[in-house]
Amino acid sequence: MTVAQQVEGGIVVEHVRRSFGEVHAVRDASFTALPGTVTGLIGPNGSGKTTLMLMLASLLQPEGGSIRIAGFDPMDATAEVRSRMGWMPDVLGSWANLSVRSTLEYAARMYGMDRSTASARAEDLVQLVDLADLAASPTRVLSRGQKQKLSLARALIHDPEVLLLDEPASGLDPGARTQLRLLVRRFAAEGKTILVSSHVLTELDEMADGVVYIDGGVTASEEAVARSRASARPWRIRSSDGEALRSALMSAGIASAEITADRKDLLVPLSGEGAAATLLAHLIGSGVPISAFAPAVGDLEHTFLDLSSGDQS
Amino acid sequence: MSAFFSGLWVILTLELRQRVRTASWYVLIGVFVALIAIVTVVVSVALRGFGADDLGGAAIYSTIIYFVLLLGTLVAPALSGNAINGDRDAGTLATTQVTLITTWQLIIGKFLAAWVTALAFLAAAVPFLIYASVVGRLSAAAITVSILILAIELGVVAAIGVGLSGLVARPLFSVVLSYLAVAALSIGTLIAFSLGGLAVQTEVSNVSSYGTDYNSAGNAITCSAPETYTYRAPRFDLFWGVLAANPYVVLADAVPSSFDRNGNPTDLFGQIKSGVRSAQIAPETLVVFNECTNTFPQTPSARDVIDSTTPGWFVGLTIHLILAVGALVGAWARIRTPAARLGRGSRIA
Repeated sequence: MTVAQQVEGGIVVEHVRRSFGEVHAVRDASFTALPGTVTGLIGPNGSGKTTLMLMLASLLQPEGGSIRIAGFDPMDATAEVRSRMGWMPDVLGSWANLSVRSTLEYAARMYGMDRSTASARAEDLVQLVDLADLAASPTRVLSRGQKQKLSLARALIHDPEVLLLDEPASGLDPGARTQLRLLVRRFAAEGKTILVSSHVLTELDEMADGVVYIDGGVTASEEAVARSRASARPWRIRSSDGEALRSALMSAGIASAEITADRKDLLVPLSGEGAAATLLAHLIGSGVPISAFAPAVGDLEHTFLDLSSGDQS
Repeated sequence: MSAFFSGLWVILTLELRQRVRTASWYVLIGVFVALIAIVTVVVSVALRGFGADDLGGAAIYSTIIYFVLLLGTLVAPALSGNAINGDRDAGTLATTQVTLITTWQLIIGKFLAAWVTALAFLAAAVPFLIYASVVGRLSAAAITVSILILAIELGVVAAIGVGLSGLVARPLFSVVLSYLAVAALSIGTLIAFSLGGLAVQTEVSNVSSYGTDYNSAGNAITCSAPETYTYRAPRFDLFWGVLAANPYVVLADAVPSSFDRNGNPTDLFGQIKSGVRSAQIAPETLVVFNECTNTFPQTPSARDVIDSTTPGWFVGLTIHLILAVGALVGAWARIRTPAARLGRGSRIA
């Protein structure tokens, strides 16, 4: 039984590849995103994220492998996929002369809604993404962040089961980011499948349940991601007494060469949460005043850096 | 089927609201109406000066129709030539394609919007056309045919513009190509016709015998010995088919002509038609002029020419329709999704 047959709905990608002439944008991508979860798609620039997104969005044909969106193949059942999938592109395009409200009304009617349903739906979404004040303004006057909200609203217009969000947070102010995160979590709670591609890794850390890492057109296996999560990463320790901290660290068995200073803090590589807890207990037992003790990089950033450096070596 | 048309309607209205209905568009229509008014007045006054009484209206009518064709073919490529690649540049093409709108709905909707836009020029000219047709007492057939052919020709230009905007990645380039296509049909056919006709020439012998002595009735009784001289005549009859693809010729050729007492056409359509049709007639290779036997080269009237030659407008119209449909089908193959291939350097979003 293949993965696609086991999973109902969601996104199932198996060994998908796509090249443009000599450029192999996506060589072998496989992952599964389950309904009710938020999956992050991360990778360096030019790693094939956007090409993969376009294939998922039913705009580009894969050359091999299979894709299932909400149970349908975008190649054979394009309309079924499109009626169940919402796509927010990284390119912010809008019909410049139309108002925010009529943009959404047109988008709704493109999904076959009648006039009154479309206008009710547009009204709901204007409220949802917090653009009610600008509903009557032409879209050309919107700021980048406001266009981003409009783009999200358009992706949601037909209440899709599967959401593909390409860089949804770029251009948003901190308040709007929080709002976006809550919104995305709420959609997941409603049972939607959400795939978020982003460079803002701390952001994804807060909203993603799982992560797909892609580099050079190849997705990293789940084991590789799990391994890199467990691998040593720097922790940031702050103390008012730097010298005492350094000697306490060395007494805990950490080589002097491994300790690096970063402004007032010291960075120490630790493998996993267990090692961190043990070290913290030791430091406090030694009477060193500790004011901060935390990973220096987020989970995803660590995975990202670990996997990209692993590929290069 | 009704789902198809409602999607088409969404694209059509969106296109008209987004692309066309702008302040500059109304200014353009205003300028156009002013130009037609000037043309109408000037042609009326000029024809009165020539003593064309009731039939001046036919000339005004045909001039206005040609004017609408000229301006329509000048404006339509600018409005339709970036319909698809302009959307791609603005980032709105992919967000439309990812909806339930099909590629055909998108292309036909955009084509209809461009056509409607070009037809707005015809609509703006209607008051003047009514005036001219009433004054000129035009036949219903002439009015119907001329407006119908004009509308189709505007649609052809709109289709070529929309088609090229799908086939070519860069908006500027596709607009220029649309203009070149219009120019090739309107002017290129004329140039090809003239050059072709001049390149292939036939030797014509002219045998002339002039009267040397006349009787009291003024008829020649003795004539000079026949003088033969030869010259070369262009063979336009071999190339008249090229002109059939010219939209102005198609229009002129299709409209039923009306003639005055001497068999001369009363409007611009008829004059162009008789000119084009006489190109079908091969030049005589032997021209005899003899005053004693009363043999003179005959010049047939425009009416005789038109009645004795083959109408070619449906050939031209068919060529135009094939071009239009071909452009739209090409655009469809190029932009349909999920896309198999992308143009060089073109981004799908």
